[in-house]
Amino acid sequence: MNTLLEPFRYGFMVDAMVVGVAIGAVCAVLSCFLVLKGWSLMGDAISHAVLPGIVIAYAIGLPLALGAFASGLFCAVATGYIKANSRVKEDTVMGVVFTGLFAFGLVLFTKIKSDLHLDHILFGNILGLEPGDMRNTLIVAGITLAVILALRRDLLLYCFDPGQARTIGLPVSLLYYLLLSLLAVTIVVSLKAVGIILVIAMLVTPGCIAYLLTDRFGSMLWIATGAAVFSSLTGVYVSFFINASTGACIVLVQALLFVVTLAFAPKHGLLVWRRRAAAS
Amino acid sequence: MIDFLLTPLHYEYMVKAILVSGLIGGVCAFLSCFITLKGWSLMGDALSHSVVPGVAVAYSLGWPFAAGAFGTGLLAAIGMGFVKTKTRLREDAVIGVVFTAFFALGLLLISLYPSSVDLRTIVFGNILGISDPDILQVVIISGVTLLVLGLKWRDLLLFCFDANQARAIGLNVTVLHFTLLTLLSATAVAALQTVGACLVVAMLVTPGATAYLLTDRFGKMIGLASAMGVGTSLIGAYASYYFDGSTGGCIVTLQSMLFVLALVFAPKHGLRASRRRMRGVGAQLAAPFEGGPPRPARGPEPVERARSAPTGEGDLGGRP
Repeated sequence: MNTLLEPFRYGFMVDAMVVGVAIGAVCAVLSCFLVLKGWSLMGDAISHAVLPGIVIAYAIGLPLALGAFASGLFCAVATGYIKANSRVKEDTVMGVVFTGLFAFGLVLFTKIKSDLHLDHILFGNILGLEPGDMRNTLIVAGITLAVILALRRDLLLYCFDPGQARTIGLPVSLLYYLLLSLLAVTIVVSLKAVGIILVIAMLVTPGCIAYLLTDRFGSMLWIATGAAVFSSLTGVYVSFFINASTGACIVLVQALLFVVTLAFAPKHGLLVWRRRAAAS
Repeated sequence: MIDFLLTPLHYEYMVKAILVSGLIGGVCAFLSCFITLKGWSLMGDALSHSVVPGVAVAYSLGWPFAAGAFGTGLLAAIGMGFVKTKTRLREDAVIGVVFTAFFALGLLLISLYPSSVDLRTIVFGNILGISDPDILQVVIISGVTLLVLGLKWRDLLLFCFDANQARAIGLNVTVLHFTLLTLLSATAVAALQTVGACLVVAMLVTPGATAYLLTDRFGKMIGLASAMGVGTSLIGAYASYYFDGSTGGCIVTLQSMLFVLALVFAPKHGLRASRRRMRGVGAQLAAPFEGGPPRPARGPEPVERARSAPTGEGDLGGRP
């Protein structure tokens, strides 16, 4: 029993769990919209593209989060611009833009001497959060969550059917940029904890899990959040005992949940399909 | 000055790195023409991240890294195909779930057995420290890839352009699908050495996209892309000597710069050309575009884009 409770005796473990839960919840709520909209890989692109922003912000003494946000948003806007003005396909444009920015960030990083840890940017460092980090993360996560939930009907309609949203008079252009900004903010907030690459999982997997389990958007939000919170807690907890990368553990718990859902989901799971196919 | 410029070439490891990068850059660029036409760009990204657990396992067991990487890469591709066909999830979401899971698994393995392999080698590549057996693997992969592409390029081209047509004239589309997937995994593994997991996708996409802006003929597109791939890789690897070793960063930055140049100045499909055409059509709309980058109407375009770009509802991105 004592061994099982041991992680809770360390302040940094409790902090990690609190931050993990907060980030997990925000990412999960957003992931429901992204999965519906088909923007899963936009998260991938934006998260890689934050690197040059971080390095430049460091070099000129701005807050890192600001630089990250700016270059993430730049990636999204540039992708949209090139897509609209050339004949190259969207997925290709995305690949070109985000790798270009990431590579530029790497070159800058090797040229500008800094005390930034590339490993921490890439893979996160949730066990080494500073008190200020934790407060900022919680505040920003709370605001993001509040905005998403307050506007969830408009965003939902926009994701499902932008044409309809425009017809009933919603500011579609504004919603587009709002969703992009929310995505960029969420990625920036999550960077410290899980890093550039694994934040993609947090932005996709919970939404997919929930989408397999329910047909109602309201319950999708709850299921995604529940899955993400459970994964964050379990992941942080398990990583203490096996002494492994915390971010990886969180994502793997999510992946396991996804596999279980995939097999056993009551309506959209593999087993049900099998049974239905056998019955017919 | 000349001495300064020749310094990198005095080191054997630099010469090796430059030559191997050139080879990989050429092969990737060749393949990138097919990948960009097929719309598999993000598949390349996903596969290159998915090879990480394979590399970790292969290194700790002492196997050739390519075997492990190739194994998990294919496993991920098959997993994506399976989940995609069996569920109602969109393709992009499936790709996201599967490759991040594989990457996380790799990260977990590496953090559990930290001594066996350096994570940075996988994520950023380490062409400057490439060993002779690794060079051999890269050469073999490149040779086989070039051979297959050389023999089958017509079939693959038709498959990329129009899979249904390919099926209709009696080509075995499943085999072609897996051939392309296998080639993609193999070159991703080779490119891992030079630029690392995060930037592999650039080598597999950017030259093709740049060439696509410059020409309408596929033969020319292959030639241009390969030339750019080889050129940027040689120069990037060479320049990285002065940049403290971020070889991948240098190569990909160069490739992106070429893409931007092509995007703006391409004779037929560039921004300036289409601007000029637009002005020809509606002369009264002549917007002042000297003294700044061309900026066509910004307002409604994201909406257009958002509306017209529901990614991932076709079969594996095989939309015309």
